[in-house]
Amino acid sequence: MTTHSSEDAASAVATTHAAAGLPRLTVTPAAAEIMQGQLVKRGTPDAAIRFGIRGGGCTGYSYVFEFSDKPPRKNDEVITAANGVRVYVDPKSMIYLEGTTIHFEKGIRGHGFQFDNPNVKNDCGCGESVNF
Amino acid sequence: MAQSIDIQGGGLFQIAEPEAPSKRRRKPGKAIGIDLGTTHSLVAIAPNGAEPRVLADAEGEVLLHSVVSYAGSGAGSGAGSGATTGQPVVGRAARALAVEHPEQVLSSVKRFMGRAPKDIDFSHPYRLADDAQVVRLDIAEPGQPPRYVSPVEVSARILEVLRDRAEHELDDDVAGAVITVPAYFDEAQRQATKDAGRIAGLEVFRLLAEPTAAALAYGLDRQGRGEHGEGLFAVYDLGGGTFDISILRLREGVFQVLATGGDSALGGDDFDRALAGHLLGLAQIDAPSPAQQQELMQAARAAKEALSEAEVTTVTLERCGLGPTQVSRAQLDALILPLVKRTIKASKAALTDASLAKTELDGVVLVGGSTRVPLVRALVQKAFGREPLADIDPDKVVAYGAAIQADILSGSEREGVTLLDVVPLSLGLETMGGIVEKIIPRNATIPISARQVFTNYSEKQTGMTVHVVQGERELADHCRSLARFELRGIPRLPPSMARVEITFELDADALLTVTARELMTGVKQSIEVKPTYGLSADEVDELVMDSLDHAREDFAARNLAEARVEMGRVMLALRTAIDEVGAIEGMLDPTEREQILAALVECEGVMQEADHADPINEAREQLEKRSEPFARRRMERALRSGMAGKSLAEIESALAEEDALDERRGAHAAEVIDPQ
Repeated sequence: MTTHSSEDAASAVATTHAAAGLPRLTVTPAAAEIMQGQLVKRGTPDAAIRFGIRGGGCTGYSYVFEFSDKPPRKNDEVITAANGVRVYVDPKSMIYLEGTTIHFEKGIRGHGFQFDNPNVKNDCGCGESVNF
Repeated sequence: MAQSIDIQGGGLFQIAEPEAPSKRRRKPGKAIGIDLGTTHSLVAIAPNGAEPRVLADAEGEVLLHSVVSYAGSGAGSGAGSGATTGQPVVGRAARALAVEHPEQVLSSVKRFMGRAPKDIDFSHPYRLADDAQVVRLDIAEPGQPPRYVSPVEVSARILEVLRDRAEHELDDDVAGAVITVPAYFDEAQRQATKDAGRIAGLEVFRLLAEPTAAALAYGLDRQGRGEHGEGLFAVYDLGGGTFDISILRLREGVFQVLATGGDSALGGDDFDRALAGHLLGLAQIDAPSPAQQQELMQAARAAKEALSEAEVTTVTLERCGLGPTQVSRAQLDALILPLVKRTIKASKAALTDASLAKTELDGVVLVGGSTRVPLVRALVQKAFGREPLADIDPDKVVAYGAAIQADILSGSEREGVTLLDVVPLSLGLETMGGIVEKIIPRNATIPISARQVFTNYSEKQTGMTVHVVQGERELADHCRSLARFELRGIPRLPPSMARVEITFELDADALLTVTARELMTGVKQSIEVKPTYGLSADEVDELVMDSLDHAREDFAARNLAEARVEMGRVMLALRTAIDEVGAIEGMLDPTEREQILAALVECEGVMQEADHADPINEAREQLEKRSEPFARRRMERALRSGMAGKSLAEIESALAEEDALDERRGAHAAEVIDPQ
């Protein structure tokens, strides 16, 4: 697979071993803490998080962001955050997630994770639908 | 807008629970096949692709009498307590109690499965609860208050014995079971059988039609002719008390029951009775005692079995005072001929029902112990014009087929079989620009149904080609083409206004039915395909890896195709608009018109040249910007003419409808249909 040079290597707390030291996916310390907390609260401190995209065509792609109780699949990339939380990304999703930073936002719109994805070209304004 | 790949939801996310994984814990080689018969039941295993074999009890007996005795099981309990103090007895031991406890020893309960009291039109020795929706049998001892059991519970007792037998053999828990049912069983009867399995602590992977099981045991699923593996088979099943004839069609590895027929009160026991009647005449007895009756029936059965091998056998009836008497096969044949002829008549009727001539059949399978009788074989051979398949023990063949199916469903790999109950590759259809829209994702558990609404591209479109493809790639050209059909009669509607609902239904046999329905007129068209047919596990792996290797270029190709489609749509809309209103004064002055036409020509060029989505999208944005004043004027004009003479409320309601329509148009992601 060809390497895609990602955007600014900002607060890189998690990198893969491959890809010439460039972070393919970054999880901010705050986001990693929340993930860890939610895994513990769920009673599965050793489980992981699956991050990916699915769908396509005129239905649009959507993010997959869910707990994963299983070991990673054969071609998954496993990103381990500083606090040990693991995020699985399948290779097909990685193409359009490469360089993404996972933040945790606490704001007027509520609390939740936000994906800062450099592959997204324009934003439709409402924040609900984005194009590459 | 659909010109490019979107990711829905740029807002805040929560970590979601993964979609419920298949509840089924696969344990390859730990599944069993059960033939739950009216008179006998059997359990067989075929672990990890092995030849199937039936399992015997401690005495070496493989056939379990489908008889359950509750005699004494409730005795001693206080009236009305309903407590069961003893365990019901199953099998041979239960049958031995039948004479003494005719109402507590239940046999042939299969006939009651899933039936209501009003459905029971055959004679039986039991007391039924008449208030109930489903049959319940009263098993109370004489003088006791009623105590009811359902046929489902009784069947569960039989299944438990078979499950225990299998667990002893496997030295492990049974992962699941395939249970066979008659092909004519309706939904209620099938559900009752499934319930019985569940009560017996079995996960019922699937119910399998008995004739289909027999065909699987003979490997007929792999013997189809032609590209689609087609074949036509008759399964002639003559048991102790029932006769069933089924006509099966094989296509792409799946059997479909075309027709069934038979006689629920005709079987080998009737042969015994006919011979017993003859012997009774020889003994010159008018009214035999129960003991004499029992001796007669046993002797008749033994003689019938002996005559399957020998031409002549000798019968002695001590209790009836009949000395050694010779009975010939010819005598037996004469006695049972009218009975066998009835089965042949029913067989011919089933062929007629299936609109087939006997010459069209590819094979005839014999099932049931009574097909060992030479006369039966001879008449079947004559009726179907071919030698029937009979080398597998006809008592075991159904259990064998169930065991093979169970082994496959447990996740074992068997030679030549890829039928798993997950979708090995995504199923979708080709949309504008050759882009694949996936409807059922890879690894979805079957059975599954999903539907998605599609729309028209232009007003001139009155038909839609539904091209069903399979694979992980983004463009239809790179996927496996499964089927193609045309939906005609779509009403002429402005672009994006027609609504065609496409439904993908993948049933338990991995048979895919694709249906396209235009929602306004209701016109409908559908097709059946077998997506797993002819794909080996290795090929599936290869196709999946292929999609990973090509992921980046596939996305680029998809983006390009989508950009082309969107550009085409915008250009078409603009040309239509110029044709329609360009001539109206004040709408489009000549200079502007020239500019737009020039921009259109330029876009045409970009479309031809571009091998990447970006220049096309940029050109389209330029075109939209260029034509925006024209679009605005058209909009204003439409609004003016539309609003003339209308109240504010009407305009508001029209706008609200428009919004709702937009929402509906936007919300057409593939949606999984809940089986409930």
